[in-house]
Amino acid sequence: MAEFYRCKYLTGRRLVAFLAIADCIIPPDEDSPGGGTMATAGVVDWALERIAASLRSQLLLFILVVEFMGILFGGKPFSKNSESARKRQLSWMESGPIGLFRMGFFGLKSYTCMGYYTREDIWKTIDYEGPMLTDLEFVDPAIRAICQGRMEVVG
Amino acid sequence: MRLDYDVVIVGTGAGGGTVADRLIPLARSGAKIALLEAGPYFPHEYFTQREIEMMGLFWFGGAWPTEDGSITLAAGKAVGGSTLMYTGVTFRLPDDVFEEWGVSGITPDDLRPRFEALEKEVNMIEPGDDMINDNNRLFKEGCEKLGWPVEKIMLNLKDCKQMGFCNIGCSTGGKQGTIEVQIPNSVKAGIELVPNCNVERVADRIVYAEVKAAPPGTKAGPWQEGKVEIKARRVVIAAGSPGSPAILLRSGLGDKFQTLGRYFSLHPALTVYGIYPERIKNYRGFPKTYYTPKFSKSHNHYIETAFYYPFISTKHLGLWGQDLKDVMKKYNQFMTMIILNHDLALPSNRIVLDRHGEPKIRYKISRESVDSLCHAQAQATRIFFAAGCEKVIMPCADRMIFKADEVPDEKIEEFISPRNFIPNKIPLSSAHPQGGCRMGKGPDDSVTDSWGQVHGYPWLYVADASLFPKSSHVNPYLTIMALADRVGQRLRETHGQWSRE
Repeated sequence: MAEFYRCKYLTGRRLVAFLAIADCIIPPDEDSPGGGTMATAGVVDWALERIAASLRSQLLLFILVVEFMGILFGGKPFSKNSESARKRQLSWMESGPIGLFRMGFFGLKSYTCMGYYTREDIWKTIDYEGPMLTDLEFVDPAIRAICQGRMEVVG
Repeated sequence: MRLDYDVVIVGTGAGGGTVADRLIPLARSGAKIALLEAGPYFPHEYFTQREIEMMGLFWFGGAWPTEDGSITLAAGKAVGGSTLMYTGVTFRLPDDVFEEWGVSGITPDDLRPRFEALEKEVNMIEPGDDMINDNNRLFKEGCEKLGWPVEKIMLNLKDCKQMGFCNIGCSTGGKQGTIEVQIPNSVKAGIELVPNCNVERVADRIVYAEVKAAPPGTKAGPWQEGKVEIKARRVVIAAGSPGSPAILLRSGLGDKFQTLGRYFSLHPALTVYGIYPERIKNYRGFPKTYYTPKFSKSHNHYIETAFYYPFISTKHLGLWGQDLKDVMKKYNQFMTMIILNHDLALPSNRIVLDRHGEPKIRYKISRESVDSLCHAQAQATRIFFAAGCEKVIMPCADRMIFKADEVPDEKIEEFISPRNFIPNKIPLSSAHPQGGCRMGKGPDDSVTDSWGQVHGYPWLYVADASLFPKSSHVNPYLTIMALADRVGQRLRETHGQWSRE
């Protein structure tokens, strides 16, 4: 097994934007980290590899749309905006008049939650005990290793 | 590769698996039968009980979006079809739905003996008290406090270990889907099972398909990778909906049948949550054992118990930010229900093909369904509070998270309103796609006759939920099996005639 997982899709500017979006969707608090961590990004990146190319492209494009539309809501790209500007932007995208933005936000939120709530360190924070059969290995050990925090994720 | 078969069955779910089983007598008498499946053949040890690892069991990773993205479908892409990840909920088609369907020959008298035989075949049981977990017990208590009828859900289980992971593959084989019952029987009788075989189209007694490599950890099939052309005397399409209408559309039948792909419905569903004051650990034990039929006739919905794993729960909750974080910290106190709208089968809701020939689901939820789902959320709220929940999370409420004392009972319907229904924001889902190859009298109003035979094509049959002319109202798999049983019967009865073609 490789010692680290290198993201294929969440890289560069897109990764920066994703981490900022994920931290807004799942903010950090005193009990648990926020969504904007490389571990979350790693799970999402792994999942993106396994969905239809057309959906993947749309999601990746939408991350950049969110990043650059930040200018309209706080004067800067999303990742550089204040927390309140970020929330205002995502709220507008979630409930605003344009169906494509609502759809994009729903997809992005879903993938962020997938990346976060399938991690075993996060299970502890919600008191989820996980599988009953713990000795079953998965064909792709990388995702288990990422979810268990045994593999470093790099962008 | 070119091959010759007597019968080719496309799809291994409730429909295809049942047809294969019903053709065992023909296989035993020497007929050559192939059972094709687009998805892989997963062995029990593949099912690791982890959400992220199991996304490969589903089309689109478990979230097949409608064209406008407002609803996502969960549909199995595997040997066993969606019976691999259903909960085993076993309903007969209600008598009033037969009437609504109005298909000559599809009557309670015809289907009753089929239901009875199928219920034995899949080991249908009434869940005993040892299977009722806290979530289900609280649901029953809540309904009883309200004076509402509450009934047990019948299940198809054998030696269920109650680990609660039915929806991402049963590790022990307790759930009696086609992968446990009909498919092993069929294979034993000599029917050839071919996983990873995607059917592109059919022409006159020829199936055009492509076999792909078996993904790691799955069982390989008997055929080589590559394009394959299969001659067959009879072809049964049981790729589900949207799969079956898509195959027929790719085969050029859209010009012949105006209804092909149309009248698609999907039981739009909302999973809703209440927060109970104590730990109830909903994720152990059997997930679904009770439902209330109280509002089926008056408001077109059923409310059933449910359970989902953490990630899927976040999708259903429809929250984000600190609200999501705070609610998820109470994951072990979740009381969960799913509300299923009966849905209308409208001609405008349809399966179409994209420019690559892949199916697109063009579906717009009706105003009636939105009203019904809002009504159901109001009633679910009453059950949650009657059961003792502190708070509920309702996607169509003026304020999504609220406590019992914040909204007086008589104001609940006003508080949970269609005005808050925003498409693509409200987390609608579906696991019951139906229609697109509806049964009926003739080619003007339908695609097949009541035996699943495509009008004017004696060699071509359909055997899955796409046959439904309208919604089944209830969880559909037993009805699919009963219709597939009819297809099997027709093929057996006419074998003497078509075996000489």
